[in-house]
Amino acid sequence: MNCEVLAISVDSPYTHKVWQETELSKMVPGGLPYPMLSDPAGTIGRLYGVYDEDTGVDVRGRFLIDPEGNLQAYEVLAPAIGRNVGEMIRQVKACKHVLATGEATPAGWEEGKKALRPEPGLSGRVCEIWNPEMAF
Amino acid sequence: MAIQVGKPAPEFEAQAYVNGEIRKVKLSDYRGKFVLLYFYPGDFTFV
Repeated sequence: MNCEVLAISVDSPYTHKVWQETELSKMVPGGLPYPMLSDPAGTIGRLYGVYDEDTGVDVRGRFLIDPEGNLQAYEVLAPAIGRNVGEMIRQVKACKHVLATGEATPAGWEEGKKALRPEPGLSGRVCEIWNPEMAF
Repeated sequence: MAIQVGKPAPEFEAQAYVNGEIRKVKLSDYRGKFVLLYFYPGDFTFV
């Protein structure tokens, strides 16, 4: 997908190493194939607005950055709420489609579904080519 | 929050554990590719 994954927490690289060796490698053969970054002082978490000063950790934030380095999407969840990996992948695909075609991807868009071409004539006529059932 | 969609993502550099070794990783190393950056509260939890 031409998309690199970077994981980051306040843990040290050595803690990441032990976690990889003792637990993650049991879930993913060979361990996680992508870098695990260390943000010991929460500096990077603060830059992205996800560092919790009270608990001293980076909360569950996820950021999609395009090939030019611009932020395209983000989501921040409370620590106890898990993410939807399928939705993250869908957003990468939607972002690629938008950047490659200049089209817009309406709610629920997935590969193969109709995208919209933004133009003045579309205003007030979206209902002719798109309906809410397409969102699911 | 200072971040905004459509604007440059804040640059950073960090020590990282990658495939058995520890090295520096910068966001700008990945220019030309999509990057999914995910924060999580801590090792030995779920991510």
